[in-house]
Amino acid sequence: MPRIWTIIAAIALLLFVTSPLLAKTTVDEVSQGLTCQCGCGLTVANCNHPECSFSVPLRGEISRLIDKGLDRPAIIAMYRAKFGEKILSAPTTEGFNLLAWVMPFFAIIVGGGAIVMMFGRWRNETPPAASVDDRVSVIDPKLREQLDAEVKRQL
Amino acid sequence: MPNLGQLALAIALILALYSIAANLFGARRGATDLIVSARHAIWAMTAMVAIAAVSLWVGLLTSDFSMEYVASYSSTTLPTVYKITSLWGGQQGSLLLWTLLLSTFASIVAFQNRRRNPDIAPYALAVMAIVAVFFLGMLNFVTRPFDLLAVRPIEGSDLNPLLQNYWMAIHPPSLYTGYVSTTVPFAFASAALITGKLDETWIRTTRRWAIFSWFFLTLGNLFGARWAYEVLGWGGYWAWDPVENAAFMPWLVMTAYLHSVMIQERKDMLKVWNLALIGLAFFLTLFGTFITRSGVISSVHSFTQSGLGPYFLTFLILVALIYIAALIYRVPDLRSPAEFESYLSREAAFLFNNLILVGIAFAVFWGTIFPVLSEAVRGVKITVGPPFFNRVNGPLALGLIFLMGVGPLIAWRRMTVKNLATHFAAPAIIGIATGLVLYGIEIKQWYVLTAISLVAFVAGTIAVEFGRGVSARRHMVHETTPRALVNLVSKNNRRYGGYVIHIGVILAFVGIVGSSFFRAEVKKSVHPGEAFAVGPYMLRFVTLTPLNTPHLESASAEVEVTRNGRHVATMSPAKLFYKKPQQPATHVAIRSTPLYDLYVVLAGIDDQSGMATFQVFLTPLVFWLWAGGLVMVIGTVITMWPNVRERAAIAEVLSRGKQEIAAEPARGGE
Repeated sequence: MPRIWTIIAAIALLLFVTSPLLAKTTVDEVSQGLTCQCGCGLTVANCNHPECSFSVPLRGEISRLIDKGLDRPAIIAMYRAKFGEKILSAPTTEGFNLLAWVMPFFAIIVGGGAIVMMFGRWRNETPPAASVDDRVSVIDPKLREQLDAEVKRQL
Repeated sequence: MPNLGQLALAIALILALYSIAANLFGARRGATDLIVSARHAIWAMTAMVAIAAVSLWVGLLTSDFSMEYVASYSSTTLPTVYKITSLWGGQQGSLLLWTLLLSTFASIVAFQNRRRNPDIAPYALAVMAIVAVFFLGMLNFVTRPFDLLAVRPIEGSDLNPLLQNYWMAIHPPSLYTGYVSTTVPFAFASAALITGKLDETWIRTTRRWAIFSWFFLTLGNLFGARWAYEVLGWGGYWAWDPVENAAFMPWLVMTAYLHSVMIQERKDMLKVWNLALIGLAFFLTLFGTFITRSGVISSVHSFTQSGLGPYFLTFLILVALIYIAALIYRVPDLRSPAEFESYLSREAAFLFNNLILVGIAFAVFWGTIFPVLSEAVRGVKITVGPPFFNRVNGPLALGLIFLMGVGPLIAWRRMTVKNLATHFAAPAIIGIATGLVLYGIEIKQWYVLTAISLVAFVAGTIAVEFGRGVSARRHMVHETTPRALVNLVSKNNRRYGGYVIHIGVILAFVGIVGSSFFRAEVKKSVHPGEAFAVGPYMLRFVTLTPLNTPHLESASAEVEVTRNGRHVATMSPAKLFYKKPQQPATHVAIRSTPLYDLYVVLAGIDDQSGMATFQVFLTPLVFWLWAGGLVMVIGTVITMWPNVRERAAIAEVLSRGKQEIAAEPARGGE
């Protein structure tokens, strides 16, 4: 019995890991990765010209390439070789282009570090506050009444 | 009319220059008369710019094609409403609208401060006048709206068909209002830096202006998204186009500012940061205009391009350098005793919220300018499109939504872990339960699960916060629940209006997530009478109706929509052809419900076979993006509404002012 469960678990794990690879590539997935060259500035998937001379034929071509069994990276690499980097709708993750991806997160990490350092400095400058119990004990009953009345007035 | 308009612009420029000089000399020498005169110059400048704008409108409405602008952006057949909106359909008109708004805001500021802020108001008005001089300089010498043609054409070229849409009537003015009104807090911040009066005065004076600016930036972005949704015909509303990015960045920075300024008001901290943020917001509004007008970065919005780029760039760099230098010079005076006790505090949550907002603004800026950088460094032109922005900003947006939930419930100064658990238990359970329910109904994308769980968490924290407030009122002043709710909001409108805005943001976020992850598309060619299925709907192409007017030709398809055999709508997508610019366009038919938007595009017509091709998108939850926008509007109105205490304070100040005037009849020149 435990052996069966092990096999089932292994199959489930294998399916979980490989399912993205087995999933069929769609025209939308591929064409989202390519920029239309008609001047609309949108992706091939989103070009707003119904009779666009670039995106409409390209979508048909992508569909045929998928039917031939090519996956997304292969199709995109093919068009990159044909049109150059400008056809990609996002920078590659190599060379100078890596900067595009890294910089935003680098800036946030640096900003976060600066905040942490600032907090550390401020915390050292802040006089320790009295404990909650101490603060409660110093409130005079008369003051407490006055405070309640003031709060009610403000409400 | 053209001569009158150009003359008015020339006089406006002289008045703006005079106002700068009079304000600065008057303030330095304490010459009240000179300051009053400068104020009058601002009002006169506004009148002159208004005359120029009216002159251009008259030219457009009377189809005076002797004017180059009118001949380029209008025609005799253009509907009247678009003749009016074509004032901002071209570059010169857009800059004129910008200048009109700027001078109007300067006039309001001059009026509001005629008895207030004598130390900094003249400097703030001088700064606004300097900005006005730049724009008036452009309108007088570089891109003139009243230039005449050597030969008057019989007909105009017409307005770009994409701009012949009702959203274009309100999108640019809203966005420009948002852009231009950032000048007011910027001018007061600059005045504080110039004079060294670095206390809270500039913040208090411009608090409503900052919210006003944020409000119109929000509207401008939403209207622009709606315009793209209805006009561009690709089923989406946001494409991370450089010009969209340019409008989004100041919104992000202003949002950060509106949060961080609360820390300064409450704890007298972050003075340098707030000054930096307001400078950055103003810089980004100029950057937005630079992008639209220079053509440096290609954009779907580049309806007009010109040689304005170098002027804008120079002004942009000058503004940035002078402001940064002034800020650095004043840093020693801006130091204040900072108090910080714990990371579990509202001030920490606000600072991290600022980090993420500014981080997203930086990511958007970086992605927008990266193609230019790549070309300059490598000589290779690349595209940075939606996949980049979605991948970078998607996770950051989750962090922001999380902090939006934490902010309302966490205490100032510090919160114990026990308190934290007590306050956040219910919202956290709501968030987790929502995630589990979604997982149970087969929604398994990690981003969607996390996003919607966080949205539920935020909704929970807001509900808890409202619940606590209402409960406190019911116990302390014995009010009924509805009355307690109304009083809670009206007496603390800034705080609870803010929470209403948060509700709007999470609704919009639900719309964005739903429409981005679950959109379905069907493309079908059918004969009249044939039907096809799209999700739960059945669409039947009934007939095609042609229409021919002097302005355009169109073919409108009648599409009957049924669901489970029951008629739900008749939709009429159309293909249009504008005769003057000889350009095709699409009229999209949209049926919107809280669950789905059915978006039908007539993609093609085959005259021989009579077949029509339809591109149909079924977009879930996009309705909530617009609904969220409406809730944000309501929240902002609540926030800006003067509350009981403020009204009492204003009445007191006014009565004191009247007494002072009565006591000193000979004072001043007014």
